[in-house]
Amino acid sequence: MNATISKTFQVAHPLSDVWANITNPEKIVVCVPGAALTEMVDADNFKGEVELKFGPVKARYGGTISFIERNADSHTMKMKGAGTDVKGKGGADMILDANMVEKDGGTEVSVTMDVTVQGMLAQFGSRLVTDATTHVFDQFVSNFKNQLDGKEVKGSLSAGAMMGSMIKGMFGGK
Amino acid sequence: MIQCKTSKAIGGMGHSLKRKEDARFIQGKGNYVDDVKLPGMLYMDIVRSPYAYAKIKNINIEEAMKVPGVVAVVSGRDLEKYNLHWMPTLMSDTQMVLPTDTVMYQSQEVAAVIATTKYAARDGREAVIVEYEPMKPVIDPFKSLDPSAPVLRTDKEGKKDNHIWNWKVGDKEKTDALFETADVVVKEQMHIPRIHVASIETCGCVADYDKVNNHLTMYMTTQAPHAIRTVIALVAGHVGLTEEKVRVIAPDIGGGFGGKVPVYPGYVIAIAVSFLVGKPVKWIEDRSENLQADSFARDYHITAEMAGTKDGKILGTRFKILADHGYTDASANPSKFPTGMFSIATGSYDYGTTYMECDAVYTNKPPGGVAYRCSFRVTEAVHAIERITDRFCLEVGKDPADLRMQNFIKKEDFPWKSPTGWIYDSGDYHAGLQKAMDALNYNDLRREQAEKRAKGELMGIGISTFTEIVGAGPSKDFDILGIKMFDSAEIRVHPTGKAIARFGTKSQGQGHETTYAQIIAEELGIPAENIAIEEGDTDTAPYGLGTYASRSTPTAGAAAAIAARKLRDKARKIAAYLLEVSEDDLEWEPGKFFVKGAPEKAKTIQELVFAAYTNHPQGMEAGFEATHYYDPPNLTFPSGAYICVVDIDRETCEIKVRRFVAIDDCGNIINPMIVQGQVHGGLTQGIAPAMYEELIYDESGNILNGTFMDYLVPTAVESPNWETGHTVTPSPHHPIGAKGVGESPTVGAPPAIANAIVDALTPFGITHLDIPITPFKIFKALKEKGVFAN
Repeated sequence: MNATISKTFQVAHPLSDVWANITNPEKIVVCVPGAALTEMVDADNFKGEVELKFGPVKARYGGTISFIERNADSHTMKMKGAGTDVKGKGGADMILDANMVEKDGGTEVSVTMDVTVQGMLAQFGSRLVTDATTHVFDQFVSNFKNQLDGKEVKGSLSAGAMMGSMIKGMFGGK
Repeated sequence: MIQCKTSKAIGGMGHSLKRKEDARFIQGKGNYVDDVKLPGMLYMDIVRSPYAYAKIKNINIEEAMKVPGVVAVVSGRDLEKYNLHWMPTLMSDTQMVLPTDTVMYQSQEVAAVIATTKYAARDGREAVIVEYEPMKPVIDPFKSLDPSAPVLRTDKEGKKDNHIWNWKVGDKEKTDALFETADVVVKEQMHIPRIHVASIETCGCVADYDKVNNHLTMYMTTQAPHAIRTVIALVAGHVGLTEEKVRVIAPDIGGGFGGKVPVYPGYVIAIAVSFLVGKPVKWIEDRSENLQADSFARDYHITAEMAGTKDGKILGTRFKILADHGYTDASANPSKFPTGMFSIATGSYDYGTTYMECDAVYTNKPPGGVAYRCSFRVTEAVHAIERITDRFCLEVGKDPADLRMQNFIKKEDFPWKSPTGWIYDSGDYHAGLQKAMDALNYNDLRREQAEKRAKGELMGIGISTFTEIVGAGPSKDFDILGIKMFDSAEIRVHPTGKAIARFGTKSQGQGHETTYAQIIAEELGIPAENIAIEEGDTDTAPYGLGTYASRSTPTAGAAAAIAARKLRDKARKIAAYLLEVSEDDLEWEPGKFFVKGAPEKAKTIQELVFAAYTNHPQGMEAGFEATHYYDPPNLTFPSGAYICVVDIDRETCEIKVRRFVAIDDCGNIINPMIVQGQVHGGLTQGIAPAMYEELIYDESGNILNGTFMDYLVPTAVESPNWETGHTVTPSPHHPIGAKGVGESPTVGAPPAIANAIVDALTPFGITHLDIPITPFKIFKALKEKGVFAN
């Protein structure tokens, strides 16, 4: 089960600040709702956990996240995450591509996230994965912006809101 | 009208007797495996793989063992100690009971949790932590033979690809030559989708090993208890469970449809655990486990071709198949027939040559495939021939009914030898189709269709005139694991003239308790209501191969008739003795022997049976019992003519089945009401793959519709009004002229529906759609043809 989401958003911060945040594991991971950084292996590799709730299905993924590319000249980066459910009920892989350009005094960020889900979540949530991923992604963007603005970052995933958006999604009322 | 030879009181063949078994079913008094409760019984639940293909790195049972009530967690490594981690399939392939290293499909069994309650077992299951190392699976069967595909069955020494077997039949040279020179050649690529029997009762068992007596009683959901007992003895004989120490009991079964023929790992694990702990162990699948892990059916990718003349004469066919078997060939076919009876795909038509070839491959999907309400791949065969016949009609511009009438094997040409070597026993295909056409005024419908087309409305008429091949089978060719496919009946008539009869088959809803009694009533004149029927207990019933492939009536039904005739012969001897006449002077009418020309000098069957115990002739063996093991001389060939009329909404593409007429010919009919019930159920299971059902896997091997929320089984809401009827062409070689009917409608309905839908869409240049044909599929096809603007 696979979902790909691409989004472009604008932040009112200089490119250098945005680049510094997005390439810093300690800053970027906490923006992912439900995620926590548990161990820094080296500069490019670290370990983390993500907890997701899809209605009655709760999955906690533990895994590794790696920077595959961090090009400070072109401001492009590629990150790969591979996680397995801590109880052995499945797994998820993610590839995140981002690039940043200066625009209108701020920065325009383009992100593509490609998520592959395997196991129980894929079985029961197959129709919901795209909607759920979109929701996670939106919350990630909002957290990322808040962080740059120095506001509070909402760490945990607002599951109720996610279910609401998914149910709306199922009936086409996005 | 069916002529009955017996009175209503006797209730022999042709009477619509109410089903004897229904009294307990409709009052909730059935006795299913899950109703079996034994003292000290433990419960088993199964940890299943979330991945389609992965190495097992570690199974951590620590937390699971802490769950109150959990007594054990069993893994493949545990079974390996007893050499019970692998088992043979019915097709002489091998299947894991529990894996030691690698999982091969999503939902495969990984470990079993044993607990004192079923809830504790489920909690324990959730607490088992398995570490996997996922690998890239092979899901697409077309990519399975690619040299870059990983070899899945590394357990097989020297295996270098994912190819299982190649099968071919027919005359390749002659057929290829025909296709090169024929005026008209048509070709379609079709997929008969992977579906599931989805019986109401899932699979399960209670394995009860008695350590003191070294005896196993196995209550299980099986269609073939005797064969299962033999398999258990073959697999577990080395640990002391030899065949006399094993008793298999199949209690009431809530639908089998072929899905309860195979041996699933759960059964074997339950036996192993019961054997080790000396307590009964119950295992009952839940709905999702049943749908996701048990044997699938179908999944044939078929290239079908037909060659003929411009005026519509069929000259030959060619079929090339790719069979996706999942990770092991766990089909339930007779040993010599890896594609089952697919070679019936020449159909109901008289032509000279065919060539069929099939390659079977391994993929990371559940193993199979079972014969879902189908005599071993007949459904696939009938779909291929009936669809390609319609494609041929389109090409030569002939009406599908006319072209079928033109090409049918004629009534007087039976017995007829097919190009693949089958001897069709009897049939009257012209009469069947004519009856179906008359039932819905076919020509009027075609006129209506022309008018609607002129207005841009979508209406389609689809025909399927199929020939089935059932009743496996003659011992010369038919066996399962070496055991010949005879079946048996044993009749024991008590002194007061009431009887019990036991069979090697096993009803799963077919109504055997009624129909077998009617066969015996027909032959012996003992009222059917006084004949108890028993099946499913290997300690009491005679050996038989079980119920599937519409074989019960053709085999065990025949055995019942012949055993009853042996008893009638004995009754004649007793009558001659009592009436002091020669046997030749006696005449039989159902229920009594009387002296020719003096009907008042008579003895009823009840009097004769009583005499067998109280006053039998000197030198004659006392008692009134007979057994027969029936080895059929040929298979039987039921046929049918189905016509379906659909209306399709031009905007929403919703399909409405307006009418469905099914004329079946199953030879002589034992119980018209039961036949009609069988046909209704079978047609509904025919509309299922035609319009709704398909097991869908993504590229990672995740099943995307593994629950009844997503896997759409049709209900009464989706079922149209089935209009049924019959023609009667008795089987000349069967003792009571019957052919079997359980599967005809499931086999015959899908192409009738598909042909109707495609017929509605032909004005747009659409020549084929794969089943299940959903509104979305129609929408996409029409969009491709530019019908809908973007």
